[in-house]
Amino acid sequence: MILASVTLSSVSKFWGSFVAVEKISLAMADGEFIVLLGPSGCGKSTTMRMIAGLDDPSAGEIRIDDRVVNDLPPGKRDLAMVFQNYGLYPHMTVADNIGYPLKVAGVNREERERQVRAAAERVELGGLLERKPGQLSGGQRQRVALGRAIVRTPKLFLMDEPLSNLDAKLRVYMRAELKHLQRDLGTTTIYVTHDQVEAMTLADRVAVMANGKLQQVGTPLDIYNTPANVFVAGFLGNPPMNLLPIAIADGRVQDSELTLAAPAGVNGAITVGQRPEDMRLSETDAGNMAGEVYTTELLGDSTLVTVKVGKNLVAVKTDKNTKVHMGENVGIRFDPKHLHFFDTTSGTRVAFDASR
Amino acid sequence: MNTRSHRSRQAALLALNVVLALIILVPFFWMVSVSLKPAAEPFSIPARLWPENPTFDNYITAFRPEFRTYFMNSVIVSLSTVIITVSLALLAAYAFTRTHVRLLIIAMTLVIVTQMFPASAIIIPIYKMMKGANLLNTYTSLILAYVTVTLPVAIWMLRGFMANLPLTLEEAAAIDGAGPFRTFFEIIVPLCRPGIVATAVFVLIVTWQEFLFALSFTSTKEMRTLPVGVNDFIGQYGIRYGELMASSVMISMPVVAVFFFLQRQFVAGLTAGAVKG
Ligand SMILES: Nc1ncnc2c1ncn2[C@@H]1O[C@H](COP(=O)(O)OP(=O)(O)OP(=O)(O)O)[C@@H](O)[C@H]1O
Ligand SMILES: [Mg+2]
Repeated sequence: MILASVTLSSVSKFWGSFVAVEKISLAMADGEFIVLLGPSGCGKSTTMRMIAGLDDPSAGEIRIDDRVVNDLPPGKRDLAMVFQNYGLYPHMTVADNIGYPLKVAGVNREERERQVRAAAERVELGGLLERKPGQLSGGQRQRVALGRAIVRTPKLFLMDEPLSNLDAKLRVYMRAELKHLQRDLGTTTIYVTHDQVEAMTLADRVAVMANGKLQQVGTPLDIYNTPANVFVAGFLGNPPMNLLPIAIADGRVQDSELTLAAPAGVNGAITVGQRPEDMRLSETDAGNMAGEVYTTELLGDSTLVTVKVGKNLVAVKTDKNTKVHMGENVGIRFDPKHLHFFDTTSGTRVAFDASR
Repeated sequence: MNTRSHRSRQAALLALNVVLALIILVPFFWMVSVSLKPAAEPFSIPARLWPENPTFDNYITAFRPEFRTYFMNSVIVSLSTVIITVSLALLAAYAFTRTHVRLLIIAMTLVIVTQMFPASAIIIPIYKMMKGANLLNTYTSLILAYVTVTLPVAIWMLRGFMANLPLTLEEAAAIDGAGPFRTFFEIIVPLCRPGIVATAVFVLIVTWQEFLFALSFTSTKEMRTLPVGVNDFIGQYGIRYGELMASSVMISMPVVAVFFFLQRQFVAGLTAGAVKG
């Protein structure tokens, strides 16, 4: 198998004085499926375009298989890319679009047709091969772009939100299909998305980005269970982790609706966090805090109860049969095993000794 | 209220269109009408809008062997100019739209400055150059002069068109492994087709009707182009209007035909380049 490792060392990109990507260092192993996850405008596409060779890094070094590629043109990097805005050739049919990389590579017509048909089959475009991109829906165009990428077996796949325009059902299907394809081919894949479900389901490792900076890199479970900072904690999960700013002195929470025994070493301006599914509703006086029910939403498999505690809204995921009403007073109890503490000023996770 | 003012606006626009159409069409109509009149009629009194006894005699006289020579000369000169100008303009426009080199941007602006000089001002230096190069009375002299005159506008027309092609397409081609030439010929040029058609028609019209250069640079009947050749009917002692107009109609026909068949693409090309410049 032809595999590639990709290494970014302190890679930055400036647009004038604007810093789009700031000192990103990331090592991707052979055959790994890496997802770049982050909100809109955080520099995901820019990072990917630098790896592809479409934008030059302003600083830093990009290596593919230990070879510095900063000055290597895209065509020489042996990678396939799905563009966020498709980048289909409007004057060519779907078949010619998918087959273009093969044509450039000098593959003969018969072989080309065979491979195009196989790729089209994989992205469910079998019946549309003779259409022009202008005659396709957004989702179909996106699948043509995907087909053009997978028709080859490059060293590296780059995919910039390749499923963003598909309807929910097709997206779930294509997600599974992509995962399978990547397993089959074993091709190192870098995948950009702002959809955390996509990131969680596809990735071997997720790299979370915000404001051009790398926030955390880890397995989906890692970043979900041990978020490195307030941003990651508040970005992942649906709804995301509840975050409450408090002050702790001498192991006691000061002036707050919250009563909580703080672990040793956790002091000062602290943001305490817990995921909605780790919290429980309780009698008003039996919880760590109490408040008034703000909304209840039936999610299907569970009910999401939002409680107003002081100025904060706290989300609690409860059993789907929970009967509470808006305006009712309830207590909320933390699960002490799943508490997270962050330094409020820096936002970084505070390690603590859980054994106490 | 609103619909009434809307309606009067529509009426005013319609009237304006009719007037414009008349201004453009009346001379054309007159040309056709005179070309069909027998020799005695053009100046008969009272003047007639349409000949009493239409005849094709003028056409038969006008379509003499010389006319055919002139026609071939015009075709050769015009088509060569179209091909050379459009090819060069495509390359130049591509370079101009895809580079950020300051010097090239200045060059691009200078290109349009050349349009500020009227033909009568540049004709003498160009004549001298042609003479020096021993090119007078050849196709080459005319083609070179026409390329010089049409190239700047052609570059700007195509530049406006190419600037609107999404960069992603070239990036996709680069990722697919295509080099710059392949990308240019297989992606850029096909996508510029409406712009190419518009530019080619523009160049064709300019060269097909060009008179001043053709008159100055050619000295023998064998090298004359149609606009100059028509002059044969303007003699020292009188103008043979019937044959003159018949020739003019025949000269117009190819351009009218080109327009007729390409008008959809031509209009698409003009607006496509114009919307976002
Ligand atoms: N050519 C450019 N010139 C100036 N600024 C740019 C350019 N390209 C991107 N940017 C800026 O860089 C930042 C990062 O852009 P990027 O496209 O990488 O975001 P993204 O994370 O892919 O967002 P999205 O999810 O919306 O696609 C944005 O703030 C954007 O405005
Ligand atoms: Mg993007």
